[in-house]
Parts: sequence; C-alpha cells; structure tokens
Amino acid sequence: MTGLRSFVTRRMLLGVVQTVAVVLLVFALTEALPGDAAVALAGDQPDPARIAALREAMHLDRPAYERLAEWAAGLLHGDFGASVTSGRPVSQYLADGFGPTLLLAALTVALLVPAGFGLGVLAARHEGRLVDRLISSLTLAVYAVPEFALGVLLVTVFALRLDWLPPTAVGYGTDLLGHPAALLLPVLVLLSRPVCSLARLVRAGMVDALAAPYAVHARRYGVGGARVRYAHALPNALAPAVQQLARTIDWLLCGVIVVEALFVIPGLGTVLLNAVAERDVPVVQGLAVVFGVLTVVLNLGADLVAHRLAPRAGVAA
Amino acid sequence: MTRTLVSPVCRVVRPRRAGRYALGLAVISAPLVLAVLGPVFAGGPGARAASFTLGDGHWFGTDFVGRDVWRQILLGGRPVVLTALAATALAYLVALPLGLIAALTHRRWLEETLMRPLDVVLAVPSLLLILLVASVLTPGAAGLALLVALVNVPDAARIVRAAAAEAAARPAVEALRMQGETWWRTAVGYVGRSILRTLAADAGIRLTGVLYLVATAAFLGVGVAPDAADWAVMVDRNRTGLFVQPWAVVVPALLIVALTMGSNLLFDAALHKPGRRRGEREPRP
Repeated sequence: MTGLRSFVTRRMLLGVVQTVAVVLLVFALTEALPGDAAVALAGDQPDPARIAALREAMHLDRPAYERLAEWAAGLLHGDFGASVTSGRPVSQYLADGFGPTLLLAALTVALLVPAGFGLGVLAARHEGRLVDRLISSLTLAVYAVPEFALGVLLVTVFALRLDWLPPTAVGYGTDLLGHPAALLLPVLVLLSRPVCSLARLVRAGMVDALAAPYAVHARRYGVGGARVRYAHALPNALAPAVQQLARTIDWLLCGVIVVEALFVIPGLGTVLLNAVAERDVPVVQGLAVVFGVLTVVLNLGADLVAHRLAPRAGVAA
Repeated sequence: MTRTLVSPVCRVVRPRRAGRYALGLAVISAPLVLAVLGPVFAGGPGARAASFTLGDGHWFGTDFVGRDVWRQILLGGRPVVLTALAATALAYLVALPLGLIAALTHRRWLEETLMRPLDVVLAVPSLLLILLVASVLTPGAAGLALLVALVNVPDAARIVRAAAAEAAARPAVEALRMQGETWWRTAVGYVGRSILRTLAADAGIRLTGVLYLVATAAFLGVGVAPDAADWAVMVDRNRTGLFVQPWAVVVPALLIVALTMGSNLLFDAALHKPGRRRGEREPRP
C-alpha cells in the first residue's frame, strides 16, 4: 500500500501548505490593503490624534512582518488576540458564538446526508420518469437561489400568513434546542442548496453506475434489483458525492452567515457580521482563520475518504 | 413498455430539454425585463410618504424611508445583473490568459507558480473572503464586482487550463508547431477556439453562482449604499416592516428567486451537450 501512503502524505502536506497560506492570506487581506484599520475604525470624522492612538493600540506603527510573526505565534497556541472595540479576547467571541452555529451545522449535515442521498437514489431509480423529472427540475431550480430570498419568503408564508412558526429566533438566546420550532425554518433554508447539489451528484453517479457493465452483468446473473442498487452501484456513486459533501461546507458557511443574520441567531456568523460592521479586525481575522482552517481540514478528510472509496479515480493532490 | 437495461436517457432528453428551456425563459423573463427596462420607466422620485404604508397611489406601498416600492423595484434589478455580468467577465479576463499560459507552457515551474497559489484562494470560503475585505475597505459596486471576480478566478482558471491542456495535446497543435506557426496563432487561434464550447458552458454555470454571491453580499450590506435601489438591499432593509408592509420584501425577494432560478434552468437547458452528464461539476457559490 505504498501508493496509498504516498498519496496520504502528499495530500496532508498540501493541507499544511494550505493552512499556512490561509493564515497568510487572511493577514495580507486585512493588513496590506490600502484601507487602514485604524482610519476605518476612527469613523466618519477621523481625528488625527485618535487615529494615532488607535494605530498604537493596534501596533500598526510596527512593521508588518513583526505583527504577522507575533499573530501567527499566538495562533499556534490558541491566542487569537483581543478585540479592538471591546478589548475582550477573540477566543471568547469564538466560544460565545460556537454553540448555536455548531447546532445549526450539525442538524443540517445530519439531515443533509439522508435527504441528499435519498432524493438522488430515488431519482436515479425512476430515471427518465415523472419522479425523476420532478426531482431533477426542482433541485436544479432551487440550488441557485440565495438563502436570504428563500428564507424571507418562507418566513412570510409560514410565520406571517399561516402563523405556524416563529419568524426569528429573537428571545431564545443560545438555548435554541429548547425551541425546535424556531430551528425549523433556519435549518430548512440552510439545507436548500446543499441538498440539491448532493442529490444531483448522487443521481448522476447512480445513473452511470446502474448503466455500467458490472451492474448489467450482476442483473444478468439474477442478482436482485435492490442488491445491485445498494450493494454495487451506490458505493461507486459515493466517491464524487463525498467530495461534494466537503465542498458543501463552503456553501454551509456562507449559508450559516446569511441564515443567522436573517433569523437573528447569535452564532459565529452574527459575531462575524458585527465585527465586520464595527471594523473589529482582530475578531474578523480570528474567525476567518477558524473558518478557513476548518474548510481545509474538511476538504482534506473528504479527499482521503474519496480516495479510499475509489482509488482509481485519481483524486488530485 | 418493457424496461430495457440500456438507460432510456437518449429518448427522453429532447422533450425534457425543450420543456426546461421554456420553463427557464418563463421564469427569468419578468426579472430580466424589469432589470433591463425598469430604469427607463422609473421616472423621477416622488414625494416621500410615511414609511411602510399601503395604498395612497403606491402600488406596492412605501419602503422603510417612505419611498415608492414600485419605483425602487424598477430601479433595483439593474445593479444586481450588471455587477454579476461584470464580475463574470472580469473573472474570465484573468482566468483565460492564466489558464492558457499554464496549459501551453512547457516549463513546469511556470505552470506551478501560476496555478498553485490559486489553490489557496479556493480553500477560503467565498463569502468569508468578501467579508474579510469589507472589514477594512468599503467596496463600492465596482469593488464588489472585483471581489466576486477574484473569488471565481481560481476555479475558472482550472477549467480553462484543463480544457486547453486537452486541446493542446491534439495532433493538430503538433502540426501547427512543426509548420512554424507563432505561439499566438497556436494558443489563441487553435486552442482558444477549440475550448470555446467548454468555456460557454462554464460561464453559464459561473454566472448563476456569481448572481448568488452578488445578491448575498448586497443583502449583507457589502458593496452597496444602505439605501440603494437594489433588490437584495430592499429585502434586507424592509425586513423590519415585514409585518406591516410585506410587499416591500416579498416582491424583490420573488424577483431574485426568479432571476437565479431562471438563469440556472436556462443555462442548463441551453448548454447541455448530448452525452455529457449534468451536475457533473458543481460551481462554487
């Protein structure tokens, strides 16, 4: 298994490089851009004295490489620095927003996998017939729709017209699990795009696998339809879907930010948006590093799993 | 009808395509017409009324600062569509030379230096990158287009490179080279032309993704004035009055849904190449 080991090593190495690069990119984008964090923070009437004070407080008067070195060294042992607006450590911001976001993400992924695979397999099973056409058209149509537009329409229908569900999660704080009704719409909106993309991918993979010679051959031997579908075709349709699942993380992250803003959920997305609005650069940097590294790690994991499932497919490393 | 083992896809494809074409056109026509012709019919700004009222000569009532919602709707489509088109064009402006050079060069280090850095941008979630920049700068519409383009460059460059590498490996390129044709003629004249179809398909998918990103960024307040006439901004700003005056939110939201849904249906129908699987490659949002 030297081939596998060398693949894993190469892929891990790429992951490490990507992680370092993400940290550099986050720093470069927020620090090296023409805009100055201190000027931005000083507001509409920039007072030179206040700017100078802010600059000193943020250590902007020191060379960039020194600040980068210090920041990166801090990151290594979990020190993300402190907020410029409140002075609280960034890690505390992260800890505050972590719960609701994790809950949303976990619920969404837990529902995403069965829903996506179920729809995909169902469509592939009835390929070319009404069920398939309905699922294919619906997933194609919904998957391009921005979450905020879909969410606002769902709120209008289900909270305003029918009065079945609460319109936002205002007043529930971080105790969302105690109010499942408030979670229903956010999770539904968050699911909309990833489910569509996953279902389409599983369908395409299943259709291919079911038409492949080995599936035809298995049927000729009299192997039952269900067994051909689930024991032979599905595993082969799985590899591209697993990678898509990781890519969905990107969508989920975008979605979480929007959904939290839309339903007023106090998670990491809200923390990020507030920090962006207040131009609290250290908090934005910290969140960006966490999100970026998470994406890198999940993609790494997915590539390794996909490689294990279909070693021939040659996952790019 | 006996169920054959060969996939029946070839038989169904044609009517299905036509149907989806018609559906896509029908869905996208309203927002597209509004975006293109709306500003012509918008007229001047009327007197401001009380915010979130209904009736009184306003078709869809008034918005959060008392402007006529119908006029805002007429004006609000163009920025979304224009920014998305500009961002897609910009992304290709960078990705096309990058991908072509990477595919056609015989120097491996050049290919690596061109393509490897892009993997990094791919690793950062797209909306995060935009918000990151927005925390330091206040990008205008042009800035937003640039940012969205930047987010799309890596993926587009990869597609260009893959397609061009395939075309560059053909015997025809070898023949052109042996005839002593210039690099320009080989790269643009032959390889560039033979990847056009792949690029058209990718551009369609990309435009849908870009529309999503532009609208979402505008909803989060990036690249737009807080009172801009923009469908996404309208949805965001008028949300406070959702219970009093839902039209100011519902109509622009419906238009955005129709725009993105229609463009995806339309591009899928128009760019489907027989024999190529749909949903094979999913774009970044």
